[in-house]
This record gives sequence, C-alpha cells and structure tokens, in this order.
Amino acid sequence: MENKKPLLTVKNLKQHFRISKKYTVKAVNGVDFEIYPGETYGLVGESGSGKSTIGRSLIRLYEPTGGEIIFNDVDISGRLSEADRKHLRTNMQMIFQDPMASLNPRKKVMDIIAQGLDIHHMYSSAEERKELVYKILERVGLSREHANRYPHQFSGGQRQRIGIARALIMNPKLIIADEAISALDVSIQAQVVNLMKDIQRETNTAILFIAHDLSMVKYISDRIGVLHLGYLVETGTTDEIFSNPVHPYTRSLLSAIPHPNPVVEKERKSMTYDYGTSGIDYAKGIQQHVEGTHYVLAAGDEIRSWTNNGKKY
Amino acid sequence: MMMKKEKILAIKDLSISFQTSAGEVNAIRGVKLNLYKGETIAIVGESGSGKSVTMKAVMGILSSNGKVNSGTIDFTYHQGDEAVKVDILKLNKKQMRKSINGKRIAMIFQDPMTSLNPTMTIGAQIMEGMIWHYKTPREEAYKKAVNLLELVGITDAEKRMKNYPHQLSGGMRQRVVIAIALSCDPELLICDEPTTALDVTIQAKILELIKEIQEKTGISVIYITHDLGVVAKVADYVSVMYAGKIIEQGTVNDIFYDPRHPYTWGLLSAMPDIDTHDDKLYTIPGSPPNLLKKVEGDAFAPRNIFALNIDTREEPPMFKISDTHYAATWLLHEKAPKMDMPAELRTRIDRMLKEAEKDGK
Repeated sequence: MENKKPLLTVKNLKQHFRISKKYTVKAVNGVDFEIYPGETYGLVGESGSGKSTIGRSLIRLYEPTGGEIIFNDVDISGRLSEADRKHLRTNMQMIFQDPMASLNPRKKVMDIIAQGLDIHHMYSSAEERKELVYKILERVGLSREHANRYPHQFSGGQRQRIGIARALIMNPKLIIADEAISALDVSIQAQVVNLMKDIQRETNTAILFIAHDLSMVKYISDRIGVLHLGYLVETGTTDEIFSNPVHPYTRSLLSAIPHPNPVVEKERKSMTYDYGTSGIDYAKGIQQHVEGTHYVLAAGDEIRSWTNNGKKY
Repeated sequence: MMMKKEKILAIKDLSISFQTSAGEVNAIRGVKLNLYKGETIAIVGESGSGKSVTMKAVMGILSSNGKVNSGTIDFTYHQGDEAVKVDILKLNKKQMRKSINGKRIAMIFQDPMTSLNPTMTIGAQIMEGMIWHYKTPREEAYKKAVNLLELVGITDAEKRMKNYPHQLSGGMRQRVVIAIALSCDPELLICDEPTTALDVTIQAKILELIKEIQEKTGISVIYITHDLGVVAKVADYVSVMYAGKIIEQGTVNDIFYDPRHPYTWGLLSAMPDIDTHDDKLYTIPGSPPNLLKKVEGDAFAPRNIFALNIDTREEPPMFKISDTHYAATWLLHEKAPKMDMPAELRTRIDRMLKEAEKDGK
C-alpha cells in the first residue's frame, strides 16, 4: 500500500465557519490524511468532531478555509475551473445518512439515479440511459421494475441501495459514505455493508467511511482516523488502532462500545475523557510516530505518559 | 428462597391492528409479557416488529387509527402502602393522563430534541409534571428539580435550570429528558431507543446513569432497542419480537449464550463484534412479512433456512426450554429433527463464554 500513489491527499485542511464578527466555529483544524485507490478509510469521532464537515469539504459542498486537497493529481481546494469541477463531480460521489431526505420524493427512481448522467451528458440515447440505470439497479440488488417507482414506496434499506446506485452510476474513484448505514436496522446494515464491500472488490473504488459505530467501522475499514474537536488525534491501520490505542480519547471511544456479551458487559464501565480537564492542548500537539503507520497527536512527552501509566485496553 | 417478586406489569394476549388505506394491518398478534419490580426487560426486533406499538399501548398513546382487538395490560402501582391494580386498556384518555402518564409510567423517547419544548426553560419543564400531578409547591418542586439535574449528572444545576434546550448538547438534553421522566417518581420507565441518536461515548454514560438510578430507586425499566450491545449491558430479561409476536424470551444469558430461535440466531450473527474477522457479515435473507396479509404458519418461515414443513402450515406455540427460557419454533418440538445453530455463531458464543469465564476469575 505504501509505495502506491494516494488517490486523495489532504494536507492541513481547515474549515472554519464564521458565525458572527466575534465568533468563528473552527470545525476542522488542520487535518492531514491520504486515501489510496481501492481502500476504505474510516473516519470516526463523536458528533461535532468535524467528521461530516471533512466529507463535505472534500466534495466541495463547503469552501475550505485553508489547506490543500489533491484528488487524482488535481488540486481541488481552491477555485475550480470548469474542467476540474466536472472531474470532481464525476469521480467523487457521496452517500448520505438519511435516504429519505436525500432522495427527491417527486422523482422516479429512474430519474434520480440518472440525474448525474443527465447533467454530464454521459449517454447517447434514451435507450442507453435506461440500460445503464437497469444495470446499476440490478447491481445493488434491486430489480428493473423498481425504476418506475417513487422513493416513498421503498423500505429504508432499499432506499439506501438507491442512494448507492446513484453514486455508483458515475463510476466514481472515491465514494464518501457519510453515516450511510447509521439509520438502518442491524440486519439491514449488514446487507448494505456487504454490498459496499462487494462493489469495492469489483470496481476498486475507494471509500471514505464516516461513522460513529465503531464495530462497523472496524469491520469495513482498512485504515482509521480518529477525529476529535477538529483534530485527527490518532491515525493508523485498523489493527494498530484497535489493538494498541494510545490517545486517551481513542481509548475512551473504544471502551464505550457495548459488547454483545452480557456477563462481561454488565461489569464493564466505560472510561471518561474530558478534554477540558485533561490538560491536553490539541493545538500544541504534533503528529508523533508510534509504530508502522500509527501516528498520535501529542505534545512533547505526553505520548510517553499515555503509554506508560494507562493500562492496555 | 427469595422473596416473592412483585409483578408490576402483565400484558396478556395483546392484539392490535391499524386501519390504513391499504387495509387492516395486524401489528401486534398476541403478545404476552411480565415485568417484576426492579427488573429490566429489553424488547428487541427489527423496525416494524411491533416493539414500539406494544409500549405505546402501555402508555395509552396509540395513534388514532389503532384498535386493540383483545388482551389486557394489568399495571400495578402503589398509592401510599396500598397496591392498586388497573387494566390500562379499560381506562379512558382522561384517566390515563390524570393517574398514569408521566406520574406512574414515564417514557423516554429516541430524539431528545423533539421531546423537549423549545420555548420553555428546562427547569420549568422538569417542574411542570410535579406541579400538575402532585400540586407540589413551586419552591419544593424547584429544589427537587435541581436535585434531579444533579442526579442525572449535570453540573451547575442551578444555573442550568434557566437554560433552554437548544443551549444544551445532545447528551445533556437526553439527561434532562431522563430528569423529567423521573420527576414524578414513576414505578415504570419505558425507554424507546434512548441512545440511538447519541454518540457511543454518551450512550455508555446514559445507560450507566439509568442503571445507577435504578439501583437507587428500584424502578422497573423496559428498553426498546435493536442494539444487542445495549441489551447485553442493561437487561435482565430479553424478549425478541418478530412480526408482532414475541418469538423468544428468557434471561439475558439465555438469549445470548443459548439462543434457540433461528431468528435470534440471525440477529446475533448479523451484528459485527470487535472480534469479527469474517469476510462477509451474516445477513437474514429477505425482508419482514407484510402484516396486511394474514400470516399462515410461522411468520419467519419464508426467511428461515431451518424451516420445517410444518412451519408453513401451523404457527408454533411457545416451547418451554427452562423456567425462564421460552421460544416459539417447531425446532423445539420433540419430533423435530435436531438442528444446531450456525457454526460461526457457535464459535462466537464459545468465545464469549470463555471471555466471560476469564472475566469472572
């Protein structure tokens, strides 16, 4: 993986929102990470940590305040030329959390899925457009009859499949899945995750998987970034993070996952982490190397005190 | 022997249907449930399995197109030292509002933003119930509200009393909702997906909080959830619902270490745990049945790879496995062929048991 060229490189990305003259929300505060072709990068963190903001900045739903985003050798962080915009809008796609809110209720599934094709004139005849939609519908486990229905006629899991179909029809190199399965039932979640994994294997699409459900993130991701208050506090492969979490925030996050094992779970207490009283200042931290690809945001000696006195998770 | 447990809620043969434009939907088809004082029961199942509808019936807040066809919901509460038993289904709306809702049975909903009033301070919202139900003097209610806020872990309680919901974070809001629910000292607390809208870190805190309060006050709790991790953490007993029926019930250990119903197997297998390395997650094939149609035989049969011939013809009764453990599947019939749970689930349960043993030492 290391010698391959990254598909997406994010350098020092900043996204601030000015609420008033005196008050600016610094949602993302200098974040660096890379995504390689065909891999799944999991972004986890609590609400308000900036994980969705990063996804939205990448696909340029927001204007990034600072930093660089290089996607497929093109810098997409500044003003976009018409060609760059087209490149971005076709090669990067997004799947949203709530499939009911993200599908136009007044359009048929056929037109929802084909909208990207329509905008970018990616077919030569109406017949071809239809065929493309049918093909993608079957790919995501729906049938061609579904093309003439409206979103409200589908169940939650099926709607999310439509969302996936809409993203896939553009043959994207990167899909941003923003809490794409959080609103679904457990058994349906598993179906959608399996589908995403299958598709990834076939098409070698990279996925940025944004979620707060850590057991699912662990299952689907190759590498993980843990985000807190707009800083990436810990990054590494899934194994590195889960077997040896270093940052106290990561540890508290991992300790909070409920295990489906009643005897163990009844006794377990989750760890508390309070940034305000912890004495840690993220702004002073620098990315320090732990092992392999495992990095932690820490200032000075902090990392040593975390690894020494904290017991292993 | 232990003391005779006091039954607080007994649901018998509950059947509810909804009149819709497409026809009559039989959402609840004969639910039986018992809850004893101080215990926690978790009701799990997919969306549409009827778990929320059952609890709405207990609260008397079914939507207007809902109709109770049969059954009783006996609720026992205490007035002074005297135990009063009522059938909730026989009370009218006014009586429910006056003597049950919020006063003796309180409910916590999924989304704390929509269950709080955005135009009232949280202090006023906590005091409201006490003043309305018990005619508590304002000053006393204020004191109790501050205490409740402290109980649910909100610092600077006095200052927070003047805050409006939008000034609080999601976790704080849910704490306020819990404080409101506890304000009238209810005997039964119903939590409908109380943490689904919250982050894992806050979820853990809220669940621990409800548990602590339960130890202090001895109230009974019903959880409605589809998160099996949550169930493992909080529940004493588990009822698994499918298509408007309880298809397996038992202690939390019965369900997690010795599940018998194929649907329960599926639910347990579908959830990835921290140690899952399988290439593919297990999924339950198909989708839940359409309850507009009359269910023939076992409702789960079409999705059940273990289905027997009889499953398509006759609905299985509840088979007794132990004093606490029951399941409705023909596989438990003495003449049924012996079927084991899927191998992956077996290894997972074995691993969990090992962990549990290690933990016990």
